[in-house]
Amino acid sequence: MTKSASMTRRLMLWLGGATLLFWVCAAPIGALVMREEFDEVFDSALQRNAQRLMPLVIDDLFQRAHSHDPRRIGNLAPEHKEYFTYQVRDRVGRVLLPSHGALAQSFDDAPLRHGFWETATHCIYTEEVVSGTLFLQIADPLDHRREAAMEGALSLFVPILLLAPLSMAVIWVVIRRSLAPIEVLRQEIGARDGGNLSPIGMIGLPVELDTIAASVDRLLERLRTALDAEREFAANSAHELRTPIAGALAQTQRLVAELPQGAAKARARGIETSLSSLAHLVEKLLQLARAESGIGIADHAIDLVPTIRLVVDDFGRKPENAGRLILDIDGCATLIRKVDVDAFAIVLRNLIENALIHGLPDTPTTVSVRIDGTIAIANAGPGVPIPELQEVTKRFRRGATTIAAGSGLGLPIAAMLIQRMGASLELASPARGREDGFEAIIRISR
Amino acid sequence: MRILLIEDDKAIGSAVREHAAAGGHAVDWARTLSTARDYAAVAPYGLVLLDLHLPDGNGIDYLREMRDRLDATPVIILTARDQISVRIEGLNAGADDYLVKPFDLGELSARIHAVARRYGLRPEPIFSLGTLTIVPAERRVDRDGQTVDLTAREWAVLDSLLRRPGAIVSKTQIEDALYSFGSEIASNAVEVYVSRLRKKIGADRIATVRGVGYRLAVT
Repeated sequence: MTKSASMTRRLMLWLGGATLLFWVCAAPIGALVMREEFDEVFDSALQRNAQRLMPLVIDDLFQRAHSHDPRRIGNLAPEHKEYFTYQVRDRVGRVLLPSHGALAQSFDDAPLRHGFWETATHCIYTEEVVSGTLFLQIADPLDHRREAAMEGALSLFVPILLLAPLSMAVIWVVIRRSLAPIEVLRQEIGARDGGNLSPIGMIGLPVELDTIAASVDRLLERLRTALDAEREFAANSAHELRTPIAGALAQTQRLVAELPQGAAKARARGIETSLSSLAHLVEKLLQLARAESGIGIADHAIDLVPTIRLVVDDFGRKPENAGRLILDIDGCATLIRKVDVDAFAIVLRNLIENALIHGLPDTPTTVSVRIDGTIAIANAGPGVPIPELQEVTKRFRRGATTIAAGSGLGLPIAAMLIQRMGASLELASPARGREDGFEAIIRISR
Repeated sequence: MRILLIEDDKAIGSAVREHAAAGGHAVDWARTLSTARDYAAVAPYGLVLLDLHLPDGNGIDYLREMRDRLDATPVIILTARDQISVRIEGLNAGADDYLVKPFDLGELSARIHAVARRYGLRPEPIFSLGTLTIVPAERRVDRDGQTVDLTAREWAVLDSLLRRPGAIVSKTQIEDALYSFGSEIASNAVEVYVSRLRKKIGADRIATVRGVGYRLAVT
């Protein structure tokens, strides 16, 4: 399964990318628009200057009417850089009056008609006067315009170089702050499991999340009620089913004790055996019901060693198990783990029962608690082939090692509960340190 | 031994009572906790067999009551609740043992013997008195290598004397061990069963302490 991308990462990528793209596109567009606007401003200035110069130039020309040589306006001001240059031409194109610094090549090819004209180096505006006999041409160098546009564009791009990372940082902070309640809610929901179904009950969540938290709380409440009902049913069923079976079995055993030897006694013994099998099957089904109702994880840690002693003692006191069960604590006086004690006892009972049923008669089954926290149940007997090992935790798969097969539910119940406890079950055959037998090893993390 | 059986199920109760009686115990059967309280108030018991799920309350509460009033009578819990947590709760409340239903009556007998032994009611599992050998766990008596057959009531008398070998056991204590509530009690019943027992195990084995009771002659 692929790992889901985080919302923060996704939002950062999309919002950051979109913002960056916006900046990158907006700056050139802004520069182009600015260039257009600059051109309009420069053109307008060019036109205005031509119109202002016009009366002065005509007046000057008419006062010097009889000279045929081109004249130049005197250089009254100190030497300086000229942006605008102009010249006055007659209808045949002869230059009558050039301004200071005006170069003939600046006006090359500019036609003698009203309007703007652009050469490789200048933008030229021509104004027609005195009924088309005189033309005033005023030129603005394009370099001047390019320089203005470039400086304008730089004034856009340089702040962007600073603003882009800053905006990324701002977006990251805003996203983190906005998603913080989601993270808190996620952690709260993640802390819920079979052992913790308490309501989330968070106050001060944003409106969007408040609805989710309320829905989760309702679901948890419903789940808790359903699980409680199922557990209560399993517990009540245990009493309601076991009691009549116990009564029937006890009465049958009294019957066996009172009947004289014969067919009736043999029949009563048959009923006793059937009732014992029924009791065993009911026990397994009730354990299965409990396992499926979600027992396993507890909200507090307990010492498992006393429980192990109790369960082993319980088996050891049965006459058929006399001398067949060895408890090896190996100096591990305590084993503190956060598991449900009833679930753990069911696991242990099933694994010990399985080992005793399938172990060779008159050979011991060992229950070991190791310092590393593992609990191992090993017997002596025929080995279990590896393919069969993989199948024995499935329901109603009975081992083929003995005629006195179990219910086919013991190992599946143990495996299910161990999974719910968050522990692991390793099945090995032959048992460790032996050439035969079967071993079940439980590892419960701290 | 006189046993108080607290069990509301008729089939289980009657079978356990008959089985214990056949084992030489006097059994008073209470179907409710209130009846059990009444019985316990007037008779001393050597053992209580206690169900937990009872019509008028929880057996664990009754057990706690017993221990609170310093009643050290051994208690074996008989219950259909098989969770280890309930078992731990029962043992913590003061139970001596715990048997989950359905159980084998033979196993119940073994548990009763084990609890009785633990409480010092039978210091030795096997008694050898000269040519007489008594094995309480097997309810077996051998005399000169021959097994002696004892009835349930004869065994009950011998069992009450075995609890304190050599010490005087009053006639009332033997009566308590012989009869449960509701049984007919003949005025000379104890003398009759002691006399029968003497014939089977030897007259010199049971000494009479006039006006006080009887004792098992261990020397």
